[in-house]
Amino acid sequence: MDVTTSAPRGAGPRGASASAPALKVQGLSKTFPGGKGLRDVDIEIAPGTVRALLGQNGCGKSTFIKVLAGVYQPDAGATAEVLGNELSLGSSRGAREAGLRFIHQDLGLISTLDVTDNLSLGSSYANTGWLSGSRERRRAQRLLDRYGIEIDVRQRLDHLSPAEQTLVAIARALGDDDSSAPRLIVLDEPTAALQSAEVALLFGLIERLKAEGNTVMYVSHRLDEVFAIADDVTVLRDGAVVANRPVAELDHDSLVELILGRTVEGIEPGQVHRDAPIVLEARDLCGATVETADLTLGRGEIVGITGLLGSGYEDLLFLLAGAKPRERGTIELDGQLVEIADPHAAVGHGIAFAPADRKRLSSIQGWSLRENITLPRVPTGAGRWLGGRAEHRDVKPWLELVRVRHSANSLLSTLSGGNQQRVVLARWLRIDAKVLLLQEPTSGVDTGAKHDIYVALREAAAGGAAVLFSSSDPEELAAVADRVIVMSDGAVTTELSGGSLTVDNLIRASLAVAPQGERAS
Amino acid sequence: MTSPADTAAEPVETASIPASTSRRSARGGGSGGLLLRFSGLYIWAAIIVVFGALVPQTFLTVQTATGIATNEAVTIIVAVGLLFSLAAGGFDLSMAQNLGFAAVVVATLSTVGGHGPWFSALVAIALSTAVGAINGFFVSVIRINSLIATLAMTSILLAATRLVSGQQFRGPLPDALRETSNAEPAGVPILVLYALIVAAAAWYLLEHTPFGRRLYATGANPEAAFLAGVRTGRHLFASFVITGFAAGLAGVLLAGKIGSVGPDIGPSYLLPSFAACFLGTTQLKPGKFNVWGTILSILLLATGVKGLQLLGGEQWITDAFNGLALLTAVSVAVVSARRAQSGRTVRRSTGRSAP
Repeated sequence: MDVTTSAPRGAGPRGASASAPALKVQGLSKTFPGGKGLRDVDIEIAPGTVRALLGQNGCGKSTFIKVLAGVYQPDAGATAEVLGNELSLGSSRGAREAGLRFIHQDLGLISTLDVTDNLSLGSSYANTGWLSGSRERRRAQRLLDRYGIEIDVRQRLDHLSPAEQTLVAIARALGDDDSSAPRLIVLDEPTAALQSAEVALLFGLIERLKAEGNTVMYVSHRLDEVFAIADDVTVLRDGAVVANRPVAELDHDSLVELILGRTVEGIEPGQVHRDAPIVLEARDLCGATVETADLTLGRGEIVGITGLLGSGYEDLLFLLAGAKPRERGTIELDGQLVEIADPHAAVGHGIAFAPADRKRLSSIQGWSLRENITLPRVPTGAGRWLGGRAEHRDVKPWLELVRVRHSANSLLSTLSGGNQQRVVLARWLRIDAKVLLLQEPTSGVDTGAKHDIYVALREAAAGGAAVLFSSSDPEELAAVADRVIVMSDGAVTTELSGGSLTVDNLIRASLAVAPQGERAS
Repeated sequence: MTSPADTAAEPVETASIPASTSRRSARGGGSGGLLLRFSGLYIWAAIIVVFGALVPQTFLTVQTATGIATNEAVTIIVAVGLLFSLAAGGFDLSMAQNLGFAAVVVATLSTVGGHGPWFSALVAIALSTAVGAINGFFVSVIRINSLIATLAMTSILLAATRLVSGQQFRGPLPDALRETSNAEPAGVPILVLYALIVAAAAWYLLEHTPFGRRLYATGANPEAAFLAGVRTGRHLFASFVITGFAAGLAGVLLAGKIGSVGPDIGPSYLLPSFAACFLGTTQLKPGKFNVWGTILSILLLATGVKGLQLLGGEQWITDAFNGLALLTAVSVAVVSARRAQSGRTVRRSTGRSAP
């Protein structure tokens, strides 16, 4: 045990940081029974620098952060030091005391409370006997001032922009004690929900933290940000570190190559096949996170849509289905202008929409398969008898189509995720929709179900429907879609089809989406 | 606690739940669930046996049976109406005062008002229906919490009831109205027939029409129902209108039955109705507000109360019994729902993909 290490922490902001690395991890492994995990990770971060942690989804980034934060226990044999102090991995308390601070993607703030309360709740109120509003406000203001954050502490959190909320979350993570010892701050995809203009606010704070001797570990998918803010990068692939390098040694293409593990071809302008008659044409759609989007869907076409989180690709489907309010824009079906005010109107026009949140939004868990399937169009007309047996007969072929062998009277909640998703699909295939809008149709679904879902989509398309599905999985998009639309910052930026529709190009198109317009490189 | 690592390997395993298991749980969890589904019948039978043994001369009589049936007919009508708003996910606390309001309106119009009995009855029912529509407006358009909206409406209706009645008994009601509620064709109290007709109509609407299905969907998961194309707002609104209509109908029939209406009738129907509807969710179709379970519960509660009264119990026994029954019923419903839920949660956590 090194007895001296704790002394410099209280001594001053730069005491220990000048010599010891901010973070030194050696031989860190984490095995999951399922396979994926971390393999022998070594990382050393110099104090007062910004380190970007990069990698594809599932590469082990979040596992690594969770081990650091003490959420997961690593396998035996790993050692870690933070700011010169030994860190016992697998303890959240230990991580905290060592000077690690985490700001997760979900900021964990309470949107209906003001800034003061959000800051105070994180630690404790100044005086527990008598809660004085003005004293709490002054304390909160002092905290924000210390990091140069210009936000009125009386503002309710939901009146702040997403970037400002991020700043509050960072201030809260840092301000829980009065010690001015340097910290290692881990930011997990802090910019995912931010508009490009707002990122500058966050970068300002990061620069300031760095200047004060703190160290930042920064997780992002946006490569341009890495070049703008990071000093070094660590790239993870399949649970192992493939590179620990200064940013200065890298350019955009070599970084993408490190992330993917292979060289990538440039994006060729995609040849878009528009020979099929157009079923749906949307122009200048605006609402939620979508700024402006144009879109056409042809008969028999399977179109994928993707982008980064917050780019608008999730909300576009909500807008088309009338499930979120549209501020602007027109939708034409078969050349006819239609007004889709709500999902009821959408269903009436033959637009089916299955949101990604299966448990909450696209099914009623406590209901039977039969009731779930018939809900959009409950059989029988006015005055006719809605009977269980007739409904059973109605539903049966659709269950067979999606290969669900459970009884139609089973509760949906008793089925596995994959089977539930098949039932959701059966529901929407049954209404014989012209347009099928599916969000992440294969998320949380086993391989067999995935295949059946693809087959069912292909059959629906062959039957004349236009299918638009969102996905964050490039391999799935490349394999299933005829054409893929990539969105960023609320607009459609790239369209890939035919020969240019490859996994590499999809990743490039998503990553190259840049606040500062790096795309030209 | 399962480690997060365990969750990675599991989803495939859960994909192969045998169909027989899920069918059984669909019926409410095997034989134990079956017992629970019909527990009301057993408890009812037990109550009859116990009081039959304790006070055989007074309890085991046709008079007692028809007395209970007639007395509870009004409760059945208003409770069945209440089912609609409950099924759609709303609480109508004002339905009892709405019932009292309708009774006072029909009594006042047909006596001191000098209007015809049928006109008075129609006006009373129309006003109660309108009250339901106003509740529906605040709940589905303005989107106030239904408890608050109908609590406020209760107070307003109380004021209206006092105002219309002039704080006095109104009566005697015209013969036509009294006859309508007190006739006994073939020895059967006509109120019982009305209650059966209302119950059958409600059962048809809730269980065998698309309207009922969408109403339940609105109550079960408003967001998912909305996204499936159900106009949830309209259905919630309609459910409050129906609850108001049933309260009005029950109020008019009650006024005819008692012949002379005081300003304070109504509130005593609140607790038994809610108790019966919630107790009903544990019966016959567990987890679902349903007509026949509700009626079974009303009869069960009324039989218990009647037995206690015949044993020489005081008036307060009724209130205590209803209150305890409501607590017990809701506890049973909540606990069994949580048990069903916990099975689901396990599955949910295993469905998550690896980190």
